[in-house]
Amino acid sequence: MAGAYIRGVGLSCALGEDAESCVSAMQRMQVRAVRLRLDEFDEPLQMPYYRIPDRSELFDAGRFERLLPPVAHAAVVQAGLTPEEIHRLPMFIGSSCFSIGLSESRYASALVQQPETAIPMPLCGYQDIAVILQRTLGCKGDTYTYNTACTSSANALLAALRMIELGWYRHALVVGAELANRTTLAGFSGLQVVAETLQPFDAARKGLLMGEGIGAVVLSAETDSANRLRVIGGASNCDTWSVTTANTDGNSVAKVLNQALHQIRVQPQQVRGIKAHGTATPAGDTAEALGLRQVFPSLPPVSVLKPYLGHTLGACCVNELILYAGALLYGFLPATPGFETPDPALGVQPITTPEPAPDGHYLLNHFGFGGNNTVLALEKIAP
Amino acid sequence: MIKLVSASHYLQPVYDHAALTSLETALRGLCREPFRRIDRFIQLALLGSANCASGRKLRPDCGIYLGSGLGPIGNNVVTQEQLIRDLEIPKPFNFINTLGSSAGFYVARNLGLQGQNFFISRRGASLQAVLNAAMADMLLGFATQALVGVVEEVALPLDAHRLRQHLSQDILLAEGSHWLLLQSGASDSRSLDLKRFAEFAALEGFLKSAWRTGDRLCCTRSMETHAAKTMQQGFDAGALSGPTSAFHDSLEAAWLAAFAVSREPGTLFLVDGHPERGWSLFYLGA
Repeated sequence: MAGAYIRGVGLSCALGEDAESCVSAMQRMQVRAVRLRLDEFDEPLQMPYYRIPDRSELFDAGRFERLLPPVAHAAVVQAGLTPEEIHRLPMFIGSSCFSIGLSESRYASALVQQPETAIPMPLCGYQDIAVILQRTLGCKGDTYTYNTACTSSANALLAALRMIELGWYRHALVVGAELANRTTLAGFSGLQVVAETLQPFDAARKGLLMGEGIGAVVLSAETDSANRLRVIGGASNCDTWSVTTANTDGNSVAKVLNQALHQIRVQPQQVRGIKAHGTATPAGDTAEALGLRQVFPSLPPVSVLKPYLGHTLGACCVNELILYAGALLYGFLPATPGFETPDPALGVQPITTPEPAPDGHYLLNHFGFGGNNTVLALEKIAP
Repeated sequence: MIKLVSASHYLQPVYDHAALTSLETALRGLCREPFRRIDRFIQLALLGSANCASGRKLRPDCGIYLGSGLGPIGNNVVTQEQLIRDLEIPKPFNFINTLGSSAGFYVARNLGLQGQNFFISRRGASLQAVLNAAMADMLLGFATQALVGVVEEVALPLDAHRLRQHLSQDILLAEGSHWLLLQSGASDSRSLDLKRFAEFAALEGFLKSAWRTGDRLCCTRSMETHAAKTMQQGFDAGALSGPTSAFHDSLEAAWLAAFAVSREPGTLFLVDGHPERGWSLFYLGA
């Protein structure tokens, strides 16, 4: 079992603008959603939203370039990489929005100023995150940009891990980025899956709440004795039952969980905790819960982190990994705000108060549109 | 050893003031169910992948590695027009299809696949990104079979499509769907290998030792001009003729797929890299 060590992290989300304060806020069970209103439609859209608490206007076109670099920089600094290592650092990026917000702003401005020449999608943004980070960090390494909906940064991280294991790279920067944009907010509203409150695995759950977050992780083949967290593997598969959700019989979720356990050579009873995907949509939680119960005759403590930062979509893996890993280092398993009433059809009850986090193996679940299911495995190493 | 089992190659120039070629008739014979609510990017992916897999029963865990520089740009244009110009909530299927992974979903469903399914982009070098990812998984045993494709769509009107890519207005544009089916240990097939070099001299040295008359060389667009010229001067200049004069963001994929489909003798070397990040060499051998 090779794996890669988590050597540096950076995070900006609704909980705060650095990783340490975010984990502390989560330990205090801080939940801070704001009320969002989009007036431009016939019927204004309103919803709770977990925004990064910077002071700028939510759809400010400069926000994308302003918020990304400090997060990645924090991860690289904490990793203690040499200038030469930073220079050759490859980037693995996962996002479902990229620079779409900036593209929307430019198109909207052009429609006002020069409507006859305005072109929609003025930016083809898949590469924009990599370009900004290469410029600001001075990295020249290979870039891989993943767009597999809500598993984007999970799959980016899995690829980074595997290429490190092959010896192609010694270190890798993995970035998840989701910032507020009208396409995502209106798109999910159109799907009618947005709720007023977030209640993962609860009998009364009605849907998801969105949020924004930028997370960055430096994975490394090398470590020092102080480093106690290692990503040890994972698995990914595709369920073609529906383009928007895994099969509600739980079979494809169970399959990817079993693949991950098989790959890391760990039995279900050895798993110390699970970070569930837990979108709180009726179908999504059903698929995840039934899959978990197929694999785990007795479930280890389950935590859902979306009540703290919202569903950060393509960035959710890296953002939630940083929070969960931080909690493990602090010695606690995160509680799940919003869960109150168990759903007997699910049989999964997330923990509602923090519990001790022993050394050992942990699983992190991610599921996304396009049938993508990805599970990552993390090890907290004994000192 | 990773082998190329089959390949497909679709490259269609798009001329000014002409409509895009309809794909519906071709897809009717290739899709096992009539997919509704799919866009042109998905159609292109279905066309290429189904042709590549034609007549073969793929392993259920065959991985899908779909690359693209621009992704589903036509659908994204429609969605942004609905949202920003018309102030309407995007239609659900338009919104869902803005994600690159939707195309992989339909490819998997059409071919009955349940393995890994990734959409990966790297501007000007999406082929290299997906090949790296697929080969890493195959070398580590996470996939024994991989369907690797690169799809580039054109969104009309062409002048806008050129503007958003910062291309001059006289460039001929093309759509493409280029696919390779790779398999570990298949016999009687061309082998696909990857070597990585920290220094340009080492890459050049390897190429000199491996080069045979009739081999082909392709330097990616993202390569530094000086390095590309050095490579071209050192090897048979005739090897540089590509399959088209038309442009899309992943033309290297067209080169590779066209060579694979042609069954021409020799080896195609595909070079990518930069002095500051190192060099990679994919080569599709005899």
